[in-house]
Amino acid sequence: MSLFRRIRSSLSHTWSLYRSDFRNMDATQIFLLILLTLLSVFMLLPLVFIFNHAFKPLHELFLFPPTFFVKQGTWQNFIDLLNASQDTFLPVTRFILNSVIVTVLATVGMVILGALCAYPLSKHPFPGRKVIFGVILLSIMIAVETMGIPRYIVVKNLGIMNTYWGHVLPILALPVGVFLLKQFMDQVPNELMEAAKLDGASEWQIFMRIMIPIVTPAMATITILSFQTAWGNSETSALFMQNDAMKTLPFYVESLTSNLANSVARQGVAAAASLIMFIPNLIIFLLSQRKVIQTMAHSGIK
Amino acid sequence: MRSKKTMKAKTSRHLEALLFVAPWITGFLLFMAFPLGFSLYMSFHKVTVLPTGLKYDFQGFKYYSELLFGSSALYDNLIPFFQEIVIMVPIILVFSLFIAIMLNQDFPGRMLFRVVFFLPIIFTSGHILTEFVNQGEGTLGFLERFSIGEYLDQFLSDSSWAKPVKDVLNRFVLVLWYSGVQILIFLAGRQTISKSSYESARIDGATPWEVFWKITLPAMSPFILLNLIYTVVDMFTFPYNPVIELINTGNYGYNSALAWIYFVVIVLFLAILLLLFLRMNRSARSR
Repeated sequence: MSLFRRIRSSLSHTWSLYRSDFRNMDATQIFLLILLTLLSVFMLLPLVFIFNHAFKPLHELFLFPPTFFVKQGTWQNFIDLLNASQDTFLPVTRFILNSVIVTVLATVGMVILGALCAYPLSKHPFPGRKVIFGVILLSIMIAVETMGIPRYIVVKNLGIMNTYWGHVLPILALPVGVFLLKQFMDQVPNELMEAAKLDGASEWQIFMRIMIPIVTPAMATITILSFQTAWGNSETSALFMQNDAMKTLPFYVESLTSNLANSVARQGVAAAASLIMFIPNLIIFLLSQRKVIQTMAHSGIK
Repeated sequence: MRSKKTMKAKTSRHLEALLFVAPWITGFLLFMAFPLGFSLYMSFHKVTVLPTGLKYDFQGFKYYSELLFGSSALYDNLIPFFQEIVIMVPIILVFSLFIAIMLNQDFPGRMLFRVVFFLPIIFTSGHILTEFVNQGEGTLGFLERFSIGEYLDQFLSDSSWAKPVKDVLNRFVLVLWYSGVQILIFLAGRQTISKSSYESARIDGATPWEVFWKITLPAMSPFILLNLIYTVVDMFTFPYNPVIELINTGNYGYNSALAWIYFVVIVLFLAILLLLFLRMNRSARSR
C-alpha cells in the first residue's frame, strides 16, 4: 500500500514539475511539440506492427487491407515455432545459445578493434594512413554477397570451420564502424591530446581516458550497428558450418521461412520468428540510447 | 645526434600507431581485401564447383561485355534505382537536418523525442522493413487520397521521372526511417558549434534565419558531407536493392563481374557528389 502511495506521489510530483514547463511554453515550443509528436507516431509504427503481427491468428494475417492491430491475440505462432524446431532433432535453444555466444564475441570485437583502428587513422600522421582510409572507404561500397567463395577458402585454410571463430572472425572488420568513428574523432581538437601528452600520458592512456569518453555517442552507435550485424548474420552459418549444431538462430529462422515461402501455414511462424529476432535489437537499443543521447549534450568541446 | 633521437621517437610513434591499427587491418586483409581481389580474379573466369574443388576456366572480359552490352538487365535495374537515389538522398539530408535542429531546441520531453527519432536505426537493417513495405504499410496512401498521382502523371508524363517521384512521395515514411543515424550525426555536429558564436550573432541583431545560413550551415558542412556519404552508401548496399538481388542470381564469375561493375558505378557516383560538394562549399566560402 505504501509502495503504491509512493509511486503516486512521485508521479504527481513529476507531473507538477512538467505542468509548469508546459504552461511556460511559447508558441514555437507548442508548434514543435505537436509536429514532433505527429512525426514520432510514424517512427513508432513498425514497432507496433511487429509486435501485433506476431500475435495475429492465421486468418488475421491475410486480411486485406492489412490491419494494424491484432484483434484476437494468440500465442499459437510461438507454439508453432517451437514445434517446428523439433523436426531437426536440435532444440531451438541450441541455436539461440550459439547466436548469443557469437553475437557477444563479435560485437565486443568489432567495437574495440574499430576504435583502435580509427584512432591512429584520425590523429597520427603515420605514412600510408590516407591510403588505408581510402581503401576502407572503398570497401564500404562493395557488395559482400560476392565474397562467399573467397571467404570460404580463407576460413578453410585457417582451420576454423565449424567453430565459433568461423562465425566471429570473418565479420570482425566492419568498415562502416571505422569510418564513422574516424569522422567523429576528427572533430576532437588536437590541443586536448597535446596537453595530455605534455602531462606524460602514454598513447594508450590518451586513447582510453580522452578519446573514448569523448566519442561515446559514436561508440554507442557502433555498438548498436555491430550488434545488429552480428545478430542478424546468417551467412557464416550457411557457408562455414556444416555441423548443424554450430548454426545460429538467424540461419535457422531463414531456413524455416524461406523453403516454405509460399506456404500459408508458415506465415504465422515467420511473424513470430521475426519478433524474436527483433527483440534483442530493441533491448540493445534501449540500453545504449541513454549513452548516445545523454553524452551528446556534453560533447560540445569546441 | 639530436635529429637521430627525434627520428627514433618518431618511428616509435609510428610503430605505436601501427600497433593500434594492426588487429583490424589483419582481419580486413584476410576477410575483405583478399576476397575482393579474388572476386576480381573470378570475374574473368567461369567458376564450376566440382566435388574435388573449384575449377576456373579463363573467359577474359566475356561477362563484362555481356553485362554492359549484351543485355539490358543491368540498366533496367540500375536506372530506376539511380533516379530514386537522386531524389531520396537530398530529401533524407534536408529532413534529418531539420529534425536535428528541432531536437536541439529547448522544450519539455526532448530527450524522449531524441530516442524516438533514433529508433529507426534498428529497423533499417533488413527483414523488418522489407516485410513492412511488402505488407503495404510503407506507403501513406495519400497519393490516392488526394489524387496527387494523377496530377503528377500530367505534370511529368513525358519523362521517365514520374514513377520515381511518385515512389518517393509514396514512401515518405521510409524517408523517416532511413534517417536515424543521419539525425544523430547532425545532432552531434550541432553540439560542436559554440554557444558564443550564436550569442554574438544575436547581439549583432541577426535574425534566426540569418543565423541558420551564416553560422549553423557552414559549421555543419563536414557533417553534411559525412551524412551524404553515409546515406548514399547505405542505400547502395542495402541488401534488398534490385541490383544486389541481381548479383545473387547466376554463376559466380558473372556475379563477380556484376559486383565489380556496380562497385565502379558507386565509386564514380560518390566521386561526382564529392566534387560537387567541395565546389559548392568553396564558392559559399568565398562569397
